[in-house]
Amino acid sequence: MSDRQPQDPVIALEGLTVAFPRYGGEPVRVLKGIDLALAPGEVVGVVGESGSGKTMLARAIMRLVPRPGRIEAGRISFDGRDMGQLDGEALRRLRGRDIAMIIANPRSELDPLETVGQQIGNVLRHHLTLDKPAIRARSLELLRQVSIPDPERRINAYPHELSGGMAQRVVMAIALACQPRFIISDDATSGLDVTVQAQVLELMRKLVVERGTSLLFITRDIGITAHFCDRVAVLFAGEIVEIGPRHAFFADPKHPYAILLLAAYAQNERLRRYWLGDTTAGAAEGPATTGCPFARRCVRAQDRCRTEHPRLEEMAPGHFARCHFPVER
Amino acid sequence: MALLTVQGLVQHFPVAGSRKVVAAVNSVSFDLEPGETLALVGESGSGKTTIGRCVLGLIRPTGGLIRYRDVEMGGRRTVRSPELRGKLQLVFQEPAESLDPRQRLYEQIDEPLRALGVNRADREKRVRAAAARVGLREAMLGLYPAEISMGLQQRVGIARAMISEPEIVVLDEPTSALDPTARAEIIDLLIRIQRDLGTAYLFISHDLSAVRQISHRVAVLYLGMIVEQGPAAKLFARPSHPYSVGLLSAVLLPNPTIRRESRISLAGEIPSPIDLPKACYLASRCPMVEERCRTRMPEVETVEPGHLVRCYRHEEVVRDGDAVDYFARFQAEAERILGAGMPPQVSTGQPMNESERGNVDHG
Repeated sequence: MSDRQPQDPVIALEGLTVAFPRYGGEPVRVLKGIDLALAPGEVVGVVGESGSGKTMLARAIMRLVPRPGRIEAGRISFDGRDMGQLDGEALRRLRGRDIAMIIANPRSELDPLETVGQQIGNVLRHHLTLDKPAIRARSLELLRQVSIPDPERRINAYPHELSGGMAQRVVMAIALACQPRFIISDDATSGLDVTVQAQVLELMRKLVVERGTSLLFITRDIGITAHFCDRVAVLFAGEIVEIGPRHAFFADPKHPYAILLLAAYAQNERLRRYWLGDTTAGAAEGPATTGCPFARRCVRAQDRCRTEHPRLEEMAPGHFARCHFPVER
Repeated sequence: MALLTVQGLVQHFPVAGSRKVVAAVNSVSFDLEPGETLALVGESGSGKTTIGRCVLGLIRPTGGLIRYRDVEMGGRRTVRSPELRGKLQLVFQEPAESLDPRQRLYEQIDEPLRALGVNRADREKRVRAAAARVGLREAMLGLYPAEISMGLQQRVGIARAMISEPEIVVLDEPTSALDPTARAEIIDLLIRIQRDLGTAYLFISHDLSAVRQISHRVAVLYLGMIVEQGPAAKLFARPSHPYSVGLLSAVLLPNPTIRRESRISLAGEIPSPIDLPKACYLASRCPMVEERCRTRMPEVETVEPGHLVRCYRHEEVVRDGDAVDYFARFQAEAERILGAGMPPQVSTGQPMNESERGNVDHG
């Protein structure tokens, strides 16, 4: 593909919609028209509460939506190629080699019956044609890259012999084995202690800078995105409700839901109570409306919000929000 | 007289097939006053949970003393003893796993009272009051745990712990499994309950922003030893132990302009509690390590009354630090950013009360 420019997105989602059929009703759309593109070397954070569609986003990009769910509409292109056109074999070649995924809970991702070296070797053998000594050399190099002390010894260790931080690094080494162009991290740092988390983030940052890898960093912890991501996207009910460059987003959040997420960290009770709204359990439950899905929980909601679905609009250069009444500062 | 006194607590667990032990807690001492929150913070493996279990008398300490209302805990005298029933309670990390999936919420909240032999009419009144206190609507009491969100499940866990009107509640990572919004609500709820009922909390957490909000005092644990202990506002603004500095600098607050820039960053991971370091436990990870740190354990020193630290070089740590409470600075910024878009009558409301809690000291 010689006509591709260096700044062309590595991965681009256009109108990505994932639906689960429902017996005798409209399908449930867990992702609705997601548009998102990552430039080479870019880190985009995705935040949202559980059920907002974060993990489904990761799975949809990998084309691993669990049945009976399916990608109902939209296009995912990797390096300009439509992933929807690829057959199973081509997808398998892509996953693990060009696109890698790191998930939470590294212990469940590692095979308890195989050594670290075997598990890294599996990936290398599958995707690259390397002989045994080359695989071993490359595995050791990978373990060194993810700062595992004493790699000659650890390469023979089983997962249960590793601490949580160490296991997460092994998972990262596996993800990095084939020098992917794009990595999805799904809550990968959530189980780690803060000091270990800091080390893992530093490592990811280094890889992104040195190799120009693009990273989609999915997390519940909006604090990490403030220090680690180039752009931040907020997901609510399967839609991006706000996305913008890190500094602009945190200095001038526009969507009431993005503000709610930030207000959750505020100590000032008045601020928090105002933005978090009625926290009496279940106050915000009820049937879906045709309008803004956040309207029911939104302190700024007006009649228009309950009837008309807002569009994602550009508020400032590169800073978009999906709100009829965005906050002005 | 403190409500709870822990002196020189030691807890070692035998290692199967070996003469070695896991030294989970190594000579820990602290007090807990009525109505106060003491936070135990530290990485996994620092002994936080074990201390909580010892305090409840669920495991018998290898050494040291735990006195609740001046009477020793342990042995036969545990949280299960008749005279202590309901006085000490526990809230767990995983709300779903701490509830019985086959019991309705009402029964779960009611259970401690049944165990205490309270009569039916009183029980019903108290269950409804407890549910209201934690923000559960009456209609929800007939539901099962799987039918409600995790934040609500944790409210049930709290209602259940509070219904016997305990004097001490051990909160073992009560917010760690929750979404940010549910987390904020649970923190609020815990603060409000303490204000109303005067319950003392032993708050076990690695979530330092929650600790900052909820605690009066903080004890920083490393490999089962308290390396620093002091009032929350002091400790967060001027941490005196390299480990406290390392922990605080690793916290990422949701504001890209606010971060503790520190020369102290901790390399590696927590060593195994089976082979404890010979002298200072942090020596293998500490950027300020010296020869003496590797040969002899530093004594506990008093920085100022109530603020204790175990480090030879604590004066340098404070001198080289920037003496800024980043949590307080973050809060000030958050008020500015979140204040926009609020109607004026709301944004100019009354100031916060509770000045004794660490959180409003902007010094």
